[in-house]
Amino acid sequence: MSRSTNQYYMKKIFTLLSFVIVCIACHVTYGQGQTVTGKITAEDGNPLPGASVVVKGTTVGTVTDVDGNYTIEMSSGATTLMISFIGYETVEVPVQGRSVIDYQLQPDITQLNEVVVTAFGIEQEKRGLGYAVEEVSSDDITKTKQANLVNALQGQVAGVQITNSGGAPGMSSRIIIRGLTSLDPGADNQPLFVVDGVPIDNSTVESNGTPRGLSNRAADINPNDVESVSILKGAAATALYGVRAANGAVIITTKKGKAGKMVVNIKSSIGFEEVNKYPQFQEGFGQGFSGDYSNDSFWPSWGAPIAAGRIIDPEYVYYDNTKSVMQTGKQYDNYVSISGGSENATFFTSVSNFQQEGVIPFSTWDRTAVKLSGTVNLNEKLDITGSVNYAKSGGDRVPHDRIMETLMYWAFTQDATDYLNPDGTQKTYGNSNPLYTARYWTYEDDVNRIIGNVNVNYKPLEWLNIMYRLGSDYYSDQRTEILPGPLGVENEFPLSSTGFIEQTRINSRDINSTLNLTVSRDITERFSASLRLGHDVFDRDRNTIVARGNEFVIPRFYHLSNVTEQLTSEIIRKQRLVGVYGDLTLNYDDFLYLNITGRNDWSSTLPKENRSFFYPSVSLGFVFDELLNLPDFVSYSKLRASYAEVGKDAQPYSTAITYTSADGFPLNGELGYTRSNTLGSADLKPERTTSIEFGLEANFLQNRLGIDLTWYKSNSKDQIIPVPVSNGTGFTRLITNAGELENKGVELVLSGTPIRNDAFTWNVRLNFTKNKNTVVDIREGIESIVVGSQFGYVGSSVTMTLIEGDPYGNLYGTSYERYYANGKPEDLTILDRDLPLLIGSDGFPVANGDQLILGNAMPDWTAGMTNTFTYKGLSLSLLIDARYGVDQFSQYDNFYSAFGMLDYSTNRNQMVIFDGRLADGSANTQQVWLGQGLGPDYVDYGAGFYRNAYRGISENFVQDASYIKLRNVTLGYDLPASIISSTPFQRVNVSASANNIILSTPWNGYDPESFSAGAGGNATAFTGLGYPGVRSYFFTLNLTL
Amino acid sequence: MTMEKRTYKRHFVAWAMVALTALGCDDYLDINTDPNNPSVAPLSGLLARTSFETGDNIQNAGLITSYYVQYLASPNAASATDTQEPVAFDQTWFELYDVMTDLSDLELQAEELEAFNYAGIAKILKAVNLGITVDLWGDIPYTEAFFAQTLTPAYDTDHGLYNVIQQLLDDGIQDLESGNFSYEVENDDFIYEGDIDLWIKTAHALKARYLLHLSETGDYDPTAILNQVEGSYTGNADDATVSYFAEQVNPWASVAISNASLILGGWISEQLIEAMDGTTYGVVDPRMSFMFGTTNGGEFIGTENGAGRGDAPEQGARSTLVEGTYYSSRTSPIEVITYAELKFIEAEAALSSDPARAYQSYLDGIEAHMEKLGVDNADIQVYLTDPQVAVGAGSLTRALILKEKYIAMFLHPETWVDARRFDYQYADMTVPANLNPELGGEFIRRLIYPDSETQRNRQNVPDVTLLDRLWWDQ
Repeated sequence: MSRSTNQYYMKKIFTLLSFVIVCIACHVTYGQGQTVTGKITAEDGNPLPGASVVVKGTTVGTVTDVDGNYTIEMSSGATTLMISFIGYETVEVPVQGRSVIDYQLQPDITQLNEVVVTAFGIEQEKRGLGYAVEEVSSDDITKTKQANLVNALQGQVAGVQITNSGGAPGMSSRIIIRGLTSLDPGADNQPLFVVDGVPIDNSTVESNGTPRGLSNRAADINPNDVESVSILKGAAATALYGVRAANGAVIITTKKGKAGKMVVNIKSSIGFEEVNKYPQFQEGFGQGFSGDYSNDSFWPSWGAPIAAGRIIDPEYVYYDNTKSVMQTGKQYDNYVSISGGSENATFFTSVSNFQQEGVIPFSTWDRTAVKLSGTVNLNEKLDITGSVNYAKSGGDRVPHDRIMETLMYWAFTQDATDYLNPDGTQKTYGNSNPLYTARYWTYEDDVNRIIGNVNVNYKPLEWLNIMYRLGSDYYSDQRTEILPGPLGVENEFPLSSTGFIEQTRINSRDINSTLNLTVSRDITERFSASLRLGHDVFDRDRNTIVARGNEFVIPRFYHLSNVTEQLTSEIIRKQRLVGVYGDLTLNYDDFLYLNITGRNDWSSTLPKENRSFFYPSVSLGFVFDELLNLPDFVSYSKLRASYAEVGKDAQPYSTAITYTSADGFPLNGELGYTRSNTLGSADLKPERTTSIEFGLEANFLQNRLGIDLTWYKSNSKDQIIPVPVSNGTGFTRLITNAGELENKGVELVLSGTPIRNDAFTWNVRLNFTKNKNTVVDIREGIESIVVGSQFGYVGSSVTMTLIEGDPYGNLYGTSYERYYANGKPEDLTILDRDLPLLIGSDGFPVANGDQLILGNAMPDWTAGMTNTFTYKGLSLSLLIDARYGVDQFSQYDNFYSAFGMLDYSTNRNQMVIFDGRLADGSANTQQVWLGQGLGPDYVDYGAGFYRNAYRGISENFVQDASYIKLRNVTLGYDLPASIISSTPFQRVNVSASANNIILSTPWNGYDPESFSAGAGGNATAFTGLGYPGVRSYFFTLNLTL
Repeated sequence: MTMEKRTYKRHFVAWAMVALTALGCDDYLDINTDPNNPSVAPLSGLLARTSFETGDNIQNAGLITSYYVQYLASPNAASATDTQEPVAFDQTWFELYDVMTDLSDLELQAEELEAFNYAGIAKILKAVNLGITVDLWGDIPYTEAFFAQTLTPAYDTDHGLYNVIQQLLDDGIQDLESGNFSYEVENDDFIYEGDIDLWIKTAHALKARYLLHLSETGDYDPTAILNQVEGSYTGNADDATVSYFAEQVNPWASVAISNASLILGGWISEQLIEAMDGTTYGVVDPRMSFMFGTTNGGEFIGTENGAGRGDAPEQGARSTLVEGTYYSSRTSPIEVITYAELKFIEAEAALSSDPARAYQSYLDGIEAHMEKLGVDNADIQVYLTDPQVAVGAGSLTRALILKEKYIAMFLHPETWVDARRFDYQYADMTVPANLNPELGGEFIRRLIYPDSETQRNRQNVPDVTLLDRLWWDQ
């Protein structure tokens, strides 16, 4: 049963109930005073039948009819109407002498009997759950204006960390629920994505070579089609999904048609974006080295003071190249949906087109999506639902890393926007031009994807329901990368001396089959039970072919045939999983709920003997307010407790020893083979995660204040990880069961309605998350696992390494040596930045080449807050999100320091005394020069402090990347009925919004929310030379016919 | 509930269970055989890879040792390798073990298939890679290595491994002389394209090399060396070299290309330049321009080891490896062992017993190297008759032999073995500026073990310092 049809039935039932209650109540006082009439509508403008309208202070009341209309007699002296409906806020409306009072009810965010979507799309009353589930509504998703559904969830859900990998159109976004669960640096720690009950692929396949910022595949879903997103966080919530949801699950329910009048929705929005934060560039020094003027040097900004250089050359002027190269990005989003139907059949269809140009010129991403879904009730017992989503997405993924790098080498005193000669060759003084690189080194992806499912629901008996669902997710991803070689023009500066073309073809097909049998019975008047048995099959087949041609023969003709060398590769991955499960839910008198589940999986990726594994879960929900007779201001209170285990299988092909064709071959007509460096294990067994969770929910003051507190702890043991082994074994890694990772944390959700009256409402919702991710154990004899590292100049590369007993995400690198009053500790592992620097005999800080912990990339805590204000037709909402205690390596700053580009390097020609101690403990008093070459003290300082020392110290570049962001602010206005009544429209809404405005960050560079690994990677501490983050502004028109 | 309904329910459940079991059946799940990678590799594929990668391994080792013997100097002051700091060369170690692992597979498979040409070549190549590894680190895993018999393989002694090297070469010769070749070696051999006679000569040359390493030990046997020389190379054409191609360029050429695009490396040491430009030995060596580049002004200027380039710009002011020379062009070969080296081995072995033979070998070694570089014949004769070179059989010293061998073995890791046997007594060779203070003014004698071993095989890794000598370095 879909959510909307469920709501429809609920409305029906409550209409009836309310009618009965009100009729009983009102016969006493019928027939006095003034008559008031009106119409009660829902938040979407549709009439709300069955809403209760009561004269305050009396027992006089009525319910609205099928069109939402009511008529009520006011008793003398009565001044206020109370309007209520289940699932909506109860409001008091002063009559003030009016005879017509129309009112639009708003959904109650702290409602008691909230229904949420849980595993397999099963709708359950939140009241009955023994674990935490949070749901984000359609409105909260579309309001964010994010083209990528994952981004749309940012800051809205406790326990969920979402990080944008950068600001490029279509760039991937990473979602992690309750911390990382795998020690394997290559594991995907992201949750399972499920659309209308069918798991879909949300992988991010990054480009070979230079980073391009590709999409996570959930970006193919049009957020406008989404009705709600439910986040299943813990193992108890995902127990039925088993293996594949071991990292949690994101359950997406799409919109469905409703019986009744056909509804047409038209939405059109336009957006603009710009870089939201730049580093502070210095503007004082130009091209050259050692402070000397030059107009052809490689060095962009170690040259003469620009003012002085201009005396030699009037064209030696500062160009703000980084900003002038960027453009205003644009977005256009157009959407039409048509839905409707009769009692026996409903449909929903939509078409959308999204187009985006990024802030780096030539970067684009478009998505066209078509959705068609329908339900047919063949008879009382049988209904069939089907849906097809087609999406075509892709764009030109400019090589942002290389663009930003060439921008770094481009002289401050040369104009970077003047890049093209009339013959098409690069215009340059010698270095590669960023815009020429952006325009001609193309990488275009073209994804064609079909997600479809068929659902058959058969209810032969009142207490028995049989559901079968078959879903498939198929896509092809065609990518073409072209790096032109020389164009055949004399004295040109080509991007490459050879050029290449690389064609990538990814074909992916997932099939899911689910059979569900549900038996529900009331055993006694107070005791009911429901048992669900199911069978589940997952089948994945993915094939990737890469064909590359090196060195073009005919210039400007880019085709695989026109090359001197051709290379191809193929990767096949097949994976199958069969599961059976059972789920027993017992409900005692609607206050005590017990849920027991068990699932057995058979996985193709494990050795035959170990491929079958079972895991159970049990959860308890206890609504105790009624039982304990709590004071009136407590409107609802519940305790939750759960225990769950979940198994996890291996990556395909992890159980054998194989040979691979060696890199660099075929060569000279020969194919080379080498034994694979990974030693598979024929005795792998499933991983096991055990988790416990406790929660408290309470609502106060007629549900105007709500609190939801969760504590959890999960331990993932016997992890299937590639542990590094001695190369003497003939291998570098052994895939084995080893290690344990722990996540422990709290989640807090506070919601409230501080102000509510007939004109003005203020809703606020706050979420807070603190998670501690600890490496409990790796494997005997194995001390560390490297998750990733990124290059920094002269040994300042930073590494993210896991060490037993330490938190996940520690960053190691070089530092300045410190002065230790009592001698340097023997086994120093962590840098204490507060200690004084040790200054050498040359007057400069001493470098410490040892790898010390300089920071940690996992946040101490994250939080999000939504405020919504509505005043008549106007609404204003603000979404703020924050992360605190995140450290990242800024490769940007490392490079900028090497080239003297940022404002702090303007002290290059100063004599300074470094604050610190000499080895004997005395304060340093020696003056040194920070510049290059011969200083005023006639000492030769070589390449100068920044190049000799500063750029080689990782400590300088591992920086606090915390932030507070105004993620979204939206001002919307519903045109009043008086205006639209003369139009064919039912509703006209206009809105303006702004996204991603950084309110505060200590980070010295572009938006700190950026990392180069892509959403699937775990080395999130490394910004690389990422695509700068953006802020955007949108204007939207939404019409409902 | 009526009886009928119960039966219905039971019936349904039974039916469902059957369906589920059928779907859960094993055949459906038996798809985990890797379709991308085979479980066996052909002999030719393993030989192609190992014979080619042996060249890279020699260059990897040379990239370390060339700083220690001062062929190269870092353009940056106090660069760790240049100043003989304890650097863990994980990648070099990994690649040596990777190739030895493939050679172990090749050896086993070839013996099984009675392809004793492949087996013999595998053993000789294994001896080459093992020799490099032992001479860099000393004790290393071998007996328990290559087949994951244990995850923490024990270390064999360097002394014992020298016996293994000789045994591998003897076995290799025996295999190759058996003529029992079920498959033919062709272009999959990137060194000799399957020429068995040259492989046998190479095995003898290598036996001579590793016997010479014992010069400072009681096991030294010059006669045995000269016996091996007899069965070995007769000219430059016999040299064992790995071929490179436009698609896979010589790794020294990559260093030169990177340096040209400002990723600095391959700068020539002042020590080598001064040994060749007349400063140290009073004779100008015509080979300089065949080996490395000049400054923009056409001069040969070296960089002082450990000191960095000072205020010199990053290009044009110092000699570096450049494309177009014998050692660092894109398709330059990497030398495994050469006729010239063999001649210097012969000279050193014969020096005390037969000075005339030693002297002739010394001159032949120089001439062979010059001819290989393409030095003009007249220039060769000028050099060979220079009084500093043509000292006569009576005046030939080990120092002079090793000085000429030093030039002829440019960039080759074998020179670090010579330097240690010779206690770094090359004329005017001093420790680099900014020398690692832990060395107390001495030259480095070995490498420390890679991090991969100290982290993953801790219980077996010997505890060593950079001054601990290998067993032959006495």
